Amino acid sequence: MIQEKNFFQRLTSNVDWWLVFAVAVLMLISFSAVYSAGIVYGNSFKYLSVQILAYLVGSVGLLLLTSFNYQHYKHLDKLMYVLSLLLLSSVLVFGSAKRGTKGWFDFGFVSFQPVEIAKIMFILALASFLDAKVKEVKKMSFLVSVFAMLTGHLILIMLQPDFSSTLSYLPVTFALLFIIGFEPFYLLCIIILVGLAVGIPLLETFVNMQLKVLHNETFLTNLAFFFKTGWNGFYIVFMGLFLIIAGFWFLRKLKVKIPAVYPIILCVAILIGCATSVPVGKSLKDYQRKRLIVFLNPKVDPRGSGYNVIQSKIAIGSGKFTGKGFKNGTQTQLGFLPEQHTDFIFSVIGEEGGWIMAQLTLFCYFLFIWRALVIAKEARDRYGALVASGVATMFTFYVIINIGMVMGMMPVTGMPLLLLSYGGSSVFSSLCAIGILCSIHTRRHTYS
Amino acid sequence: MVWQKEGQFAYKTFLKKHKVILVFFSFLFVCLSIRLFYLQIIKGGEYTIISQQQRLHNTYEHAPRGIIYSASNAVLVENEFTYVAIYRPYDHHQNPSEQIVKELTKILGREIKPVVDKGLKYGKVVMLVDNLTKEEMFKIEEKSLSSKGVSVVKDFRRIYSYPEITGHITGYTSKISSQEVENLSEQGYKMGDYIGKGGIEQAYDKYLQGKDGGWQVEVNARGHQVKAFKYVAPEIGADIYSTIDLKLQKVAYDALKESDAGKGAAVVLDAKTGAVKALVSCPGFDTNKVRSRDFEKYSKDDKNLPLFNRALQAHYPPGSIFKIVTFAAATDIFSIDSLDLIHCTGSFELGDRHYACWCKQGHGKLNLISAMAQSCNIYFYQLGLKLGMKNLEKYAKKFYLGEKTGIDLPNEKEGFIPNPEWKKSKSKAKWLKGDTVIFAIGQGALCVTPLQMACMISAIANNGVCHKPYIVDRAVNISGNEVYKHELEFDDKLELTHKTWKLLHEALLETVENGTGKKCKLPGIKVAGKTGTAENPQGKDHGWFVSYAPADNPEIAMAIFVEHGGGGGLSAVPIGRKIYEAYFNIDNDKEEKVVKQ
Repeated sequence: MIQEKNFFQRLTSNVDWWLVFAVAVLMLISFSAVYSAGIVYGNSFKYLSVQILAYLVGSVGLLLLTSFNYQHYKHLDKLMYVLSLLLLSSVLVFGSAKRGTKGWFDFGFVSFQPVEIAKIMFILALASFLDAKVKEVKKMSFLVSVFAMLTGHLILIMLQPDFSSTLSYLPVTFALLFIIGFEPFYLLCIIILVGLAVGIPLLETFVNMQLKVLHNETFLTNLAFFFKTGWNGFYIVFMGLFLIIAGFWFLRKLKVKIPAVYPIILCVAILIGCATSVPVGKSLKDYQRKRLIVFLNPKVDPRGSGYNVIQSKIAIGSGKFTGKGFKNGTQTQLGFLPEQHTDFIFSVIGEEGGWIMAQLTLFCYFLFIWRALVIAKEARDRYGALVASGVATMFTFYVIINIGMVMGMMPVTGMPLLLLSYGGSSVFSSLCAIGILCSIHTRRHTYS
Repeated sequence: MVWQKEGQFAYKTFLKKHKVILVFFSFLFVCLSIRLFYLQIIKGGEYTIISQQQRLHNTYEHAPRGIIYSASNAVLVENEFTYVAIYRPYDHHQNPSEQIVKELTKILGREIKPVVDKGLKYGKVVMLVDNLTKEEMFKIEEKSLSSKGVSVVKDFRRIYSYPEITGHITGYTSKISSQEVENLSEQGYKMGDYIGKGGIEQAYDKYLQGKDGGWQVEVNARGHQVKAFKYVAPEIGADIYSTIDLKLQKVAYDALKESDAGKGAAVVLDAKTGAVKALVSCPGFDTNKVRSRDFEKYSKDDKNLPLFNRALQAHYPPGSIFKIVTFAAATDIFSIDSLDLIHCTGSFELGDRHYACWCKQGHGKLNLISAMAQSCNIYFYQLGLKLGMKNLEKYAKKFYLGEKTGIDLPNEKEGFIPNPEWKKSKSKAKWLKGDTVIFAIGQGALCVTPLQMACMISAIANNGVCHKPYIVDRAVNISGNEVYKHELEFDDKLELTHKTWKLLHEALLETVENGTGKKCKLPGIKVAGKTGTAENPQGKDHGWFVSYAPADNPEIAMAIFVEHGGGGGLSAVPIGRKIYEAYFNIDNDKEEKVVKQ
């Protein structure tokens, strides 16, 4: 009896009430927004009930994970990683396809997206790996094994293919590497490498689309032709390399000491980035390229990929200060918004709730992430800190990308807004992640 | 605080990185908030307007155009309801399928060929069939083609009561082109409207055009109607009351049609007001057929140019009619005595050139009046030489040649008066005395329109007061209010001496009584006029006849032009006679019968 009471007391007294408050407010906003967004599809009750069910099931998961000591995960890291790989591979075999992505386990009445759980398992596994190998941070083998872990997941997800989910892995990995004490310069090199590998095919697509849109000669089209013709791309790359070496030499002359490794690594990163852009370019699907491009200029294709961004901007903008009222948003209720119950849920809030509700939502997210980072700070060991930071980074990334996309600042990627968007898997996995956060928080004073 | 199993240093370095991450994440959230503020508070108004625009649409119900009446309130143009089957590709995300077309063909039992272009622009309408009868409409509704996107809507068709006779006066209507919408959108024209083309339909389009009504509806993202807000009934356009005397119009048209080439123009003006009693251009065109498919072929391939309004747009030399101007100039400037005699031998030498009179054996001894009545070229050659080009040009301008009459119909031409500068710039040759001589009898490069001639003779009939010709007297809207009323406008810059007027009227009367216009001599009514023959190097000459009656108190004035009709005295004058007979109700046939008995 005494043991139980202690446990219960510990649970209540150590709960981060700010975190719970933020999640509770987001939950209520989610219910109302999903209900309102579902009206035009005639599915509002179904959506609302599924969402409530997801929150209920998620809360059970949350409570279970809170009571479970997170430190056990540390010793289960290999099992965790293998399990996540198994989940991702089995969905490729047994899963069913929705909208061209084979990423769902369909149980008839409910379908589940394993990638959402795999993400959290990856954070747990990576954190425990980093925690164990913190002393080897400067070794090449360390970096190689981290990226081997990463690519294992990425390849399996790319095979579905689910481009937007893979995007969320990179910031989490980078943030954790940064926290563990990885040299920021190398991180920068890696970012440049990845940026080039993905950026060059996108630039190419952009140029192609621009050429179709622009009929008259402008600076941009001339530039585009310049890029498109033959060896000019190579010249530009070599010019960049030359500038780096020249800059390095110049700094040497000024007696600024920089080890020779740095420019060499930078150059190598650029070269590898350019080289890998070719296979990446081939693996990107046409619609994915377009989606990324369209955010640059939504008017490129207003009835196609750009339509979403334009309509969601109109919806949010027309909400003004107080909004059009619950169930009264003209954009929402007349079906101008695409995917309004999932990816574009924030535009429903912005239109019907106005600036007040939209800003409240943003504030709740910020409160949530701030609390997650505080939990990371107060964690009793490095592992807890790493896991909490990883979860915080993942949430931040999702929120920034999704809301940025809805407001026309980011490319349209098909990422849900965690906790708000309709969808059982994402709500469930988000609540599980919060459960882990709570577990870290409640045990912050426990020493073992 | 220290991490378990770790040194204090490790925790301190973590805290530094943690701070960086916290600041970075906060920065990202501030960016989102700024963007949110920008979209909702700063740009909110703009986006609200956009969201309204894509939500609300107007469905238009065309307003019927006004009716056009003649002077005696006979209907010239009215409306007829028809039904048209249309298809809105945007709503169905595709153009009408072949199956729909086939089914329609089956139901109607006639071939239909909808004009379909690519693209599914919002608001585009594909016309499947027009001119449906009521029975056909019910058939389409019965077969429930409407579920496949075929909708039958009411449309208006213009019905012209006298299509060929009044075609050039009324004009016709056609669907507005996208170019015109671009130019006229400020005046409220929009895609799908009908707009007047030519004639009264064009000139008074803004009165005839009613106010379209319709529903303001809320549409969803697919363009389907969700709910309707308010209905505005279409407002019929104002009725136009023209000054056309249908009887004269018909007589003039038939007479011209029966002439040698069947081509020509006639303009009859009310001498006292300038009201156009008849304005004929022959051949006319069937305004009821304008919307049909073979119209273009019919109008463009016809060498007689039926669409060409000769009364307003044809440029022809006036021929001997211009002798009126020469006559007036000479009497005004030199105060020639009417008894001064000249001997016409039938030819006239100027330098080494030889100019003939139309009467080859010569007219013998002539004074001013008889020279005018006989239209003797020799007499007027000499007057022309004596006057010189400057005076002739001045008097031609005095008689309103070379300028538009200002009639309220579109596309009027202004004619042309040649002068030495023009000849120099055009052919780099000097103006010769021969050019002046030819000019004095109205040949050469001088060009006038039949309407200009009618105005000139009407001004002469009024001793110099020229009324601006007009064809529309008033426009009355549906509630009976006059929205437009013509105000009489006149100009009296044509000032000549009293003696000149007296001589001119005498000469014109003599022309019809005993001269070239003898065929227009009417019992009981004095007609004054002048014939003319425009020399045509390409073919048969054109005949002219300008006149007014009664000579002592002019009521009507007219100009008749017969293309390729030969001499004016033989071709144009009899047409003038028929018009006078119609106007003064003289029964020609009865008289002839009396004579026979």
